[in-house]
Amino acid sequence: MRPRLPLLGSAALRVTLGVAAGIILLSVGAMAVQYRITASALEDRQGELMAAELAGFAQFYEQRRIPGLREAIEARATVTGPDEALYLLQDRNGQRLAGNIASWPEGVVPSGSLFAAAPMVEVPGPAGAYRGVARELPGGFPLLAARAMTPVTETLRELRGTILRVAAGLSALALLAGWLVARAVVGRIGRLNALADRVAGGELSARLPGPRTRDEFGALETHFHAMLDRIEALNRATHRLSDTIAHELRTPLNRIRQRLGRIEGQADEIAALQAEIAGTVRIFDSLLDISSAEAASGQRPGLVPVDFSTLAAEVFDLYAPLAEDRGLQAAARIAPDCWVLGERNLLAQLVSNLLDNAIKFTAPGDRVELTLAPEADRHLLVVSDTGPGLPEELRGEAFDRFTRADRDRDRQGHGLGLALVQAIAARHGARPTLPPVRRGFRIEIAWPKLSRP
Amino acid sequence: MTDQPPRILIVEDDAEAAEALAAAARELGAQPEVVTTYDAGLIAAAGTDYAVVVFDRMLPGGDGIDAIARIRAAGSTALVLVVSALGRAANKIEGLEKGADDYLAKPFDPDELRARLRALLRRQAMQVLDNDMVVLGPVQIRMKARTVHVGNQHVPVSPKEFELIAYFARNAGETVTRTQLLENVWNLHFDPQTNVVDVHVGRLRRKLEQAAGRGVIHTDRGAGYVFDPQRAPQPADDGDAG
Repeated sequence: MRPRLPLLGSAALRVTLGVAAGIILLSVGAMAVQYRITASALEDRQGELMAAELAGFAQFYEQRRIPGLREAIEARATVTGPDEALYLLQDRNGQRLAGNIASWPEGVVPSGSLFAAAPMVEVPGPAGAYRGVARELPGGFPLLAARAMTPVTETLRELRGTILRVAAGLSALALLAGWLVARAVVGRIGRLNALADRVAGGELSARLPGPRTRDEFGALETHFHAMLDRIEALNRATHRLSDTIAHELRTPLNRIRQRLGRIEGQADEIAALQAEIAGTVRIFDSLLDISSAEAASGQRPGLVPVDFSTLAAEVFDLYAPLAEDRGLQAAARIAPDCWVLGERNLLAQLVSNLLDNAIKFTAPGDRVELTLAPEADRHLLVVSDTGPGLPEELRGEAFDRFTRADRDRDRQGHGLGLALVQAIAARHGARPTLPPVRRGFRIEIAWPKLSRP
Repeated sequence: MTDQPPRILIVEDDAEAAEALAAAARELGAQPEVVTTYDAGLIAAAGTDYAVVVFDRMLPGGDGIDAIARIRAAGSTALVLVVSALGRAANKIEGLEKGADDYLAKPFDPDELRARLRALLRRQAMQVLDNDMVVLGPVQIRMKARTVHVGNQHVPVSPKEFELIAYFARNAGETVTRTQLLENVWNLHFDPQTNVVDVHVGRLRRKLEQAAGRGVIHTDRGAGYVFDPQRAPQPADDGDAG
C-alpha cells in the first residue's frame, strides 16, 4: 500500500504556492514602482516649494537689495523652525545678518547665481537631510535656504510600512488559498489513489461511489472506471478460460474413465490407463493451480490469518511415518505462533510438495529437515535434505515448469512441484530462494509476518 | 423411509456421467432420478424428499453450487454431492464453503463415487452419532476421553490416529477411500503425490490387530479401506494396501 501523501508534498500545493508567489511578486513590484513615483513626486513638490520661496526672496532683493532680503529672511526665520527649513544670510565677513541657524553648515559650497531654483545642494542640518540652495550674492553675501526632507522621508517610510503589511497579508492569504486548493485537489486525487490501491490489492470490482462531476476530475474518474471495467472483464475471461479448459477436458476424460470401468478382463491394462488419466488430470490441475496462484499474486482477497506453525506441523506429521518407513531421519523444528495471511490449502500443498520432493529424492540414511522460525519481519520456512541435491546446471531454472534432471527421468513426476511452490509463495508475497549448500538440497522461503490475530 | 429405498436426484447434462451416477446409486440400493438442466434440478429438488442430490456444475442454466442455497431455502433436507469438472482444490473448497456436503471431481473413479454416496446415505439415515462410547466388536472407542480399547486392553493412539479411527467408526463396515480420509481427517483438499495416508492407516491397523489378534481394518483392493472389527478374517487381507 502506498503511504498517504502528506499535504506539504503535494503537487497541488506546490503549484498553488508557485502561482501565489508569482502574484505576490507582481503586486510587490507594482507597489515598488508606485513607491518610486511617489518618492520623486514628493521630491518635486519640495523643489517647487523651494522655488516659490526663492522667487519671493528675489522680489525683496530686487526692490531693496540686501536690507530687503534680510528683513524677508528674518520674517521667514521667526515663523519657521530650523527642523523645517534652514535660512542664513551672512555678510562678507561671515557675520550672520538673518536666519535661524548660527553658522554656515560644514562642507556646503555656494554655487549658482542669485535666486534660480537650480542647482540645488544637499545640506546637513538638525533634522537630518535638507535640500536647497547655497549662493553667494553680489558683494560677497552668502545665502543659504534649504527645506528639510523630513516630510518626504516620513511619508515614504509610512508608504514602505503599508507596502510591507500589504505584502505580508497577501502572502498569508496566498498560503491559505494554496492550502485550501491543495486540500480540495488532494482529496479528489486521493480518492483515485485509494481506489488504485484497492484495485492493486486485488479488489478488481472496487469503484468510486456517487455520481461523477462534470469537470476534469470527473472525466479522470470516468476514464479510471472504464479502465477498471476492462481489466475486470479480461480477468473474468481468463478465469472462464481455465474453467472451460477444465470442463472441456475433464468431461471427455470422465467418459473414457467410466467406459474403461465397464470393460471386463485385462485388469492390469485398465489400471494402467486409469493411472495415465489420473496423471493427465494432475498435470493440468497443477498448471491451472500455478497460473491461478500467479494471477492472484500479491492480492489480499481470499487470504485469511493462518497459524502456519500448526499447519506445517500437521503436514510434517502426515509425512513423518512415511519418511521413517523409508529409513530417513526426519526432523521438524517449528516455532509456535508463526501466523501468516494465507490460503490454508495452498500453504499445506506447498509444504507437502517440498516434503514429497525431499522424500522422493533421498535414500535411506539421509536427513530431511523442516524448520519454521520467526525472524525480524518475516517467518522463515526451510526444507533441507542430504540427498543428491540439485544438478548445478538446473539451478537457474529450478522453478520453471517442466524442469527435470536427466538422472530423474525414471522417477515419477512432471517437474511442476517447484513451479507450484514458487507460484504459491508469490501468491502470499513470499519468494523462495535456493541457497548454495555443500550437500543436498535446501530451499528457504521468507513469509510476510502477521501479528497474532 | 425405512421400507422404501432412498431416492437420489442426479442433475447432470453429460449422459455418460449421468449413467455412471445412476448405476452407482442403484448398486447402493437407492432409486436414482436424472434431470439434465439446472432449472429442472431445482424444481425436482423442491418437489420431492430426496436423501441425496447430486449436482453438476456448468449445467445448462446455471452452476450447481448456486443451487445449494436455493434447495436449502426451499426446505429440502437432502445432502448435496457436487460432481464437477471444476475439480481443483480451490473449486472443492469453494463448493464446500458454499454448503456442499461433499465434492467429487471428474473424472471420478466409480469406487470413489460409491464410497462418497454411501457415506452421504449413511449420514442421512443415522443422523447424529452422539454416543460417547462406540462399540464395534471388540473395539471400544470413547469419544470424549479420546481413548481406544480392544477387549480390556488400552491401545495408545496419537491424536491423528484417534481422528482416523473415529472417522472409520462413523463409516464402519463401508469402504472409505484415501481421498476421503485425507479430506475428512487431515482437512487437505489436494492429492499428495505419494500415498502418505497408507502409512498412517498401516500403523493404526498394526496396533489394533496386535491387540485384537485379527483383522480390524481391511483393504478393499484399489478402492480403499473397510473398518469392520466384526468381520471374520479373510485370506484376501494381506495387510497391505493395493
